[in-house]
Amino acid sequence: MTEDTPLLFPNSERGSLGPALTLPQSKDGGPARLVAIFGSLGPHRTRRVHYVFDVGKPAYSEIVLPADGALRSIARELPGAAWHERELRDQYGIAVVGHPDLRPLLFHDNWPDGVYPMTDRVDDVPWSKREYHFLQVQGDGIAEVAVGPVHAGIIEPGHFRFSVVGDTILHLELRHFYTHKGTEKLFEGKSVDDGAMLAESVSGDNCFAHAVCYSQAAENACGIEVPPRASAVRLIGLEFERLVCHISDIGGLCTDVGFSVAAAYATRLKESLLQASVQCCGTRYWRGVAVPGGLRFDFDSAKVAELAQAVARASRDFSKIARMILGTPSIQNRFETAGVLSQEAARDLAVVGPIARASGIDLDARRDHPYGAYGKHPIEVPVTHYGDVMARARVRVAEATVSARLIQEAARDLPDGSAFTPVTSQGDVQGFSSVESPRGELCYWLEAGGGRVTRCHIKSPSFQNWPAMSVAVAGNIIADFPLINKSFNLSYSGCDR
Amino acid sequence: MIGDVIERSLRRRSPVIPVETLLGNCDGSRMPEIIADRLTRDIAQKLVDACPTSALGVEEREGRRCLRLSYGQCIGCGKCAEASQGAVLVAKHFTRCGVTKEQTIRLWDIDGRAEVTPLAPSPQEARGQIHSLLQRALNVRQLDAGSCNGCEAEITALTNPYYDLERFGIHFVASPKHADMLLVTGPVTRNMAEAVKATYEAVPAPKLVVAVGACGCSGGIFAGSHAIVGAVDAVIPVDGFIPGCPPTPAMLVTGILEVLRRRVAK
Repeated sequence: MTEDTPLLFPNSERGSLGPALTLPQSKDGGPARLVAIFGSLGPHRTRRVHYVFDVGKPAYSEIVLPADGALRSIARELPGAAWHERELRDQYGIAVVGHPDLRPLLFHDNWPDGVYPMTDRVDDVPWSKREYHFLQVQGDGIAEVAVGPVHAGIIEPGHFRFSVVGDTILHLELRHFYTHKGTEKLFEGKSVDDGAMLAESVSGDNCFAHAVCYSQAAENACGIEVPPRASAVRLIGLEFERLVCHISDIGGLCTDVGFSVAAAYATRLKESLLQASVQCCGTRYWRGVAVPGGLRFDFDSAKVAELAQAVARASRDFSKIARMILGTPSIQNRFETAGVLSQEAARDLAVVGPIARASGIDLDARRDHPYGAYGKHPIEVPVTHYGDVMARARVRVAEATVSARLIQEAARDLPDGSAFTPVTSQGDVQGFSSVESPRGELCYWLEAGGGRVTRCHIKSPSFQNWPAMSVAVAGNIIADFPLINKSFNLSYSGCDR
Repeated sequence: MIGDVIERSLRRRSPVIPVETLLGNCDGSRMPEIIADRLTRDIAQKLVDACPTSALGVEEREGRRCLRLSYGQCIGCGKCAEASQGAVLVAKHFTRCGVTKEQTIRLWDIDGRAEVTPLAPSPQEARGQIHSLLQRALNVRQLDAGSCNGCEAEITALTNPYYDLERFGIHFVASPKHADMLLVTGPVTRNMAEAVKATYEAVPAPKLVVAVGACGCSGGIFAGSHAIVGAVDAVIPVDGFIPGCPPTPAMLVTGILEVLRRRVAK
C-alpha cells in the first residue's frame, strides 16, 4: 500500500506531526520485527508513544517519541502495527494520520466519542450509541454470515463477520474486544506486588506466563536478581503450562473434526497433569505462585520430582497418541492444506508463536531473548513451512516433547536456596520483559513510582496474531473455520484485556 | 489410524471420579478457611489489609466485632494466609457452591473466636438426594460475559473422563434456546452487557442462572473497572453462586447439584 491508496475507512485525522519514526533494521538485514506500540504519560502528563522492535538477539530496541501532536501511521509499511495504533487512539486519543482503518477497537457502540481512559476520568462514563460499519463486500451471490459474540460452545465471546460465495469465504472481518475489562488502567495505583494477581487474570489458561512476565518486568525495573531456585521452578511452570496447552489444543482439533475418542484421550492426559500439579503446589493452573522477586512460597523438591515423573508419563503417552492421530488418513485429509498462512503474510502481520513457526518463521523468545533459567538449557525450535492446520498441529506436538524434556532437566538440577528476593524500589522505574507463552511472545512494559504501578502495557501474542486469522481463512469453506480457528487457538481475553 | 487410537483408549482404565468424592471437594482451589480460635483483633486487621479484593472486612454485627469473609470476592491469592500467623489455612472442604449470595458470606465473632453464620449446606444432604436430583436431564448453556477463560477451562474439564458430567444427564448445549440453566462466567463487560441480556431472554422459562467464579459473583479483581458493568446479578437475576478463581471442576459439580437441590426443595 502507498500513501495514495484510498483509505478503506476514510477518516479526518489531522494534527501537527511530531518527529518521524525511522523504522529500524534487523541485525541480519531486512526490516526489524514489530513487537509492540503503546502509549504512556510523561512529565506533566504529556503523551508519549513507545515502539518496541526485535532487532535480533538478544536485545529488543525501544524508541520513544513525544505524541502531543499527531502521529504518522506506520500501518501501511507494517500492517502488523494497525491494531496497535487503533488501540493507542482509543486509549490516549492520539490522532494517527494516514491510518487505513481507525474505527474504534477497544470500545463498542456504547462508548461515547472523545473519552480516553488513559488520560481522562472514567468513573461514570455515560452510555451512548454510535455506529459501527463493517467492511461490505459487494457482488453477485455474496452473502454475509454473522457469528457471535456468543458462540456455540464453552468458548470466549467475539464476533466474526464472513462474506461468502456459496461455502467459500471471501473475507472475514473480526470484531473483538467483547471481553475488554480495562485491565491496563486497573494496574495503575496497585502495589507492584499485587499487580501479579491482576496479570494472572489476563488470560486464564496461560496465567502463569502472564504472572512471570509481569514479575520479570518488575524485577528488571527494580534491578532485582531472582534466586536460581525460583527461576528453575518458574521454568518448570512455564513449560508445564505449554505442555498442558498443547495437549489440550490437539484434543480440541480432534473435537472439531468429530474424532471424539482421541479428543477424550487428550482431555484425560491434560486432567492427569492438572491433578499432578495440585499434588505438587496446590493449584491446577499455577495461580498465586509467581510474584516479583521469585515465588510466593517455596516448593518441596520431592514433590517437584513427582510432578516431573507425571509429566514424563503423560508426555510419552501423548507422543504416541499424537503420532497415531496425525497419521490417520481422514485427519490428514481435514488438516492438510486447510487455513494456509503464507510466510509473507505472517511476516507482514508480525505474527508470533507456534503460528509463526508453522509458517516458516524461526523465532522463540526462550532462545532469542533468554530469560530466567532458559540460558542454561538448549532449546530446539521446531519450524515447518506449510502454514496449514497440520503444520500448526505438528509444531505443537514437537514443542510438547521439548517442554517435557526441559521439565525433567530443571527438576533434576533444581538448585537449593531461597526462592524469593524482596523487591524494593522507591524512585521512578521502568522495566520490559518478554516470555514465550504457549501462544507466543508475550511482553509486559511496566512503569512504577514509590512501589506503585503507574503504567502497565500488556502485549499478548493473541493481539498480534488475530488479524492473521482473516488471511488464513480466505478461500477456505466456512465449515473449516472452527478447525482453522482452533489451530490458531488464540485467547480472546488476552487480546481484549 | 482410527482403530489404533480407539484400541489404545480402550486399554486405559476409566478414571471416572464417583460423585460422592466430588461433592464438597476443593483441592487446588486455594479457598481460605478461618481458624476461629486463632483470631485476634490485630490478626483480623492484618487479614483485611492483606486482601486485594476486599473479600475480607471487619464490621460490627449486633454489638459484636466480626470478621467477614465474602467467598464470592475471594480470588484465592493466599495473601491472607501469609499474614495470618496460622489463623488462615487453605480449605480442605468447601460447600458454599451453588448457594445464595448471602450464603457465600461467613462471619466470625473476633473476640468470641467463633463463627456466627449459619452452617453451610452439607454435602451429605445433597448426597442423600442425589438420585432424585439426577432423575431428570439438565441442559446447560455456558455464557462468557467477559471472563479471563480460567473458568471456561475448568467448565470444559467437566466433560473429560474424570468428571464426565454426561453420566448424570447433564450436558452442555450449543444454543440458549435449548437450555435449562445458564452458567455465566466473568464480570459483565460493557461490551457484553447487551449480549448477556439477549442470551438470558433466549432461554425458555423456567430457567436457572448460576454465576461462576469470583468475577461472576462479585466482579472479582476487575471490580470497579470503567470497562465492566459489574457482577452477573447486576445485569440478570441469579439463582446460585459458585465462588473460586477459578472454581475447580469438583466445586462446579457441587454447585450445579446444590442449585438443583434448592430448586427441587422449593
